[in-house]
Amino acid sequence: MRIVGVLVVVGGWAITIGGLLMTSSNLARALIACLGIGVSIFGILGVLNSYYLARAIWKK
Amino acid sequence: MTRLTKRSQYLLAILGVGALLCLAAPLSALALTDQEVISGVAGPKTDEIAAKGDPGADLTGTVNDVTLADSKKGLTLADLANQAGQNKIAINFVWTLVTGFLVMFMQAGFALVETGLIRAKNANHTMMMNFMVYGLGLFAYYVCGFAIQMGGCAPIANLGGVYPLNSEHVVQAFGKPWGLFGTKGFFLQGATYDVGVMVLFLFQMVFMDTTTTIVTGSCAERWKYSAFCVSTIGLGALVYPLFGNWAWGGGWLSQLGANFGLGHGYCDFAGSGVVHAVGGITALSVAMQLGPRIGKFNRDGTPNVIPGHDIVLVLTGCFILAFGWFGFNPGSTLGASGNGCLRIGSIAVNTMLAGCTGSFAALLYMWMRYGKPDASMAGNGLLAGLVAITAPSGFVNPLAASIIGWIAGILVCLSVEFFDRIPKVDDPVGAISVHGINGLWGVLSVGLFADGRSNYGGSWNGVAGSVKGLFYGDAGQLVAQLVGISTLVGVIFTLSFLWNWLVDLFVGQRANPKAELAGLDIPEMGALCYPDFQLKAQE
Repeated sequence: MRIVGVLVVVGGWAITIGGLLMTSSNLARALIACLGIGVSIFGILGVLNSYYLARAIWKK
Repeated sequence: MTRLTKRSQYLLAILGVGALLCLAAPLSALALTDQEVISGVAGPKTDEIAAKGDPGADLTGTVNDVTLADSKKGLTLADLANQAGQNKIAINFVWTLVTGFLVMFMQAGFALVETGLIRAKNANHTMMMNFMVYGLGLFAYYVCGFAIQMGGCAPIANLGGVYPLNSEHVVQAFGKPWGLFGTKGFFLQGATYDVGVMVLFLFQMVFMDTTTTIVTGSCAERWKYSAFCVSTIGLGALVYPLFGNWAWGGGWLSQLGANFGLGHGYCDFAGSGVVHAVGGITALSVAMQLGPRIGKFNRDGTPNVIPGHDIVLVLTGCFILAFGWFGFNPGSTLGASGNGCLRIGSIAVNTMLAGCTGSFAALLYMWMRYGKPDASMAGNGLLAGLVAITAPSGFVNPLAASIIGWIAGILVCLSVEFFDRIPKVDDPVGAISVHGINGLWGVLSVGLFADGRSNYGGSWNGVAGSVKGLFYGDAGQLVAQLVGISTLVGVIFTLSFLWNWLVDLFVGQRANPKAELAGLDIPEMGALCYPDFQLKAQE
């Protein structure tokens, strides 16, 4: 699960860079960058943190 | 004859000679040579000074003090020009060094804030983490961090060029050059044994150390000391320098303007992103892996407040940090003379205003929400405002600085609550919110509020003109800032996470529960911070 989380986090950045290469419109680039940031945050809090929360010390 | 008139005579004589030369020859013929001897300019007699001294300060600092290349030949125009150049660089060296010393003193502020916000039974452990980030981080940065970050940053005109730092590793991809890391300056050897490089090293080193000390706060009260040591070395040697290179060392983020037409590329004047967001995001990655302190969350997941042991330490530390920030932001001009560096005044005022409004906003928020003005959150509001203004401080006006600080003060309160209640990441001092979230806010605010009035030598990141945000007509700048944020969240988090995962595998990140309950001072450090106090273990 941690590997998946890391891939999602990096994938968010790849989306942002892809946006730079795909279009020259600032609006489109900004929206794609926001999408990329959102994906990365999901990877951190939704995937990686969930993995650690499931094993949290206060649940034992 | 008054003293002023006497001094003016020397100046007028020098200026007169210069003016005559300008009139007598076209500019192209003004190439300086030692042949052009300036005669008729006499300084005060040394006998006179020896006999009477100079209580009025009108005999010291005259033409007598201009260094002559050849004393037999006398004063030449080249001597004057060289002296002017040396004076400019001397002013910039002194400015950069002194502001660097101020930033170094921020380590004391961080140590006090973090130690005050944790329990007395862990005070020695937390102080020692803050103390040793200095040595550990410096060593890692000296060995390779500085070279990776700044090895290809030349030229920096304010510091005399720092020309030995001229090697950036660049790869070609998608038809564009992508600067990845510098390759000169390892161990400060070879040509990088250079006066300008030394000044730059000192200033950049204390910035890196600020980043490493952010992590110790979030991981306090449960981090094994050995794991902290290894983790810090990785951050100082690789993770921080990489992002530092991309933003400040001529790397690919700084070239987004030149390569993709995005404003002036990623702009981060003093490091909301490079220093604070990198530290805050690394803190998040380690705090997640460590898990919360025992007792922070109940079995149903509701959080408990674990109050710090000394609010006096916390607020004293905040004041020290606010003082040090006057080195952090104004010092990032890397000079006080030339290339628009006189903006140091407005940068200092912006810094002061954002810290003030951040503190005020946090105080009001907590007062309205919980009925009492919370001291620790007022302190965190001050720091949040300072963190947020760090990136835009050189590009925005005072009104924008006040707004940025105000938003940061509210943001830090919301963020602390969020991390406590939703992802349940235990952050004893709020460093993820103060430095991570508000670091990102600072980066974003450049893309909104930069007013296009700054002019640091006519260009920034190789793009002519001044930095303008969305509100002043440049949407491309906002996109560049968003790309920077995405890189911080997507790449820097990943690098920090992977490095600390390795640390966990080979060293083990978390102290054992018995030691944690007893307090880490004895099990980890072998001595209590307060041996005369009656300490109580907390279940």
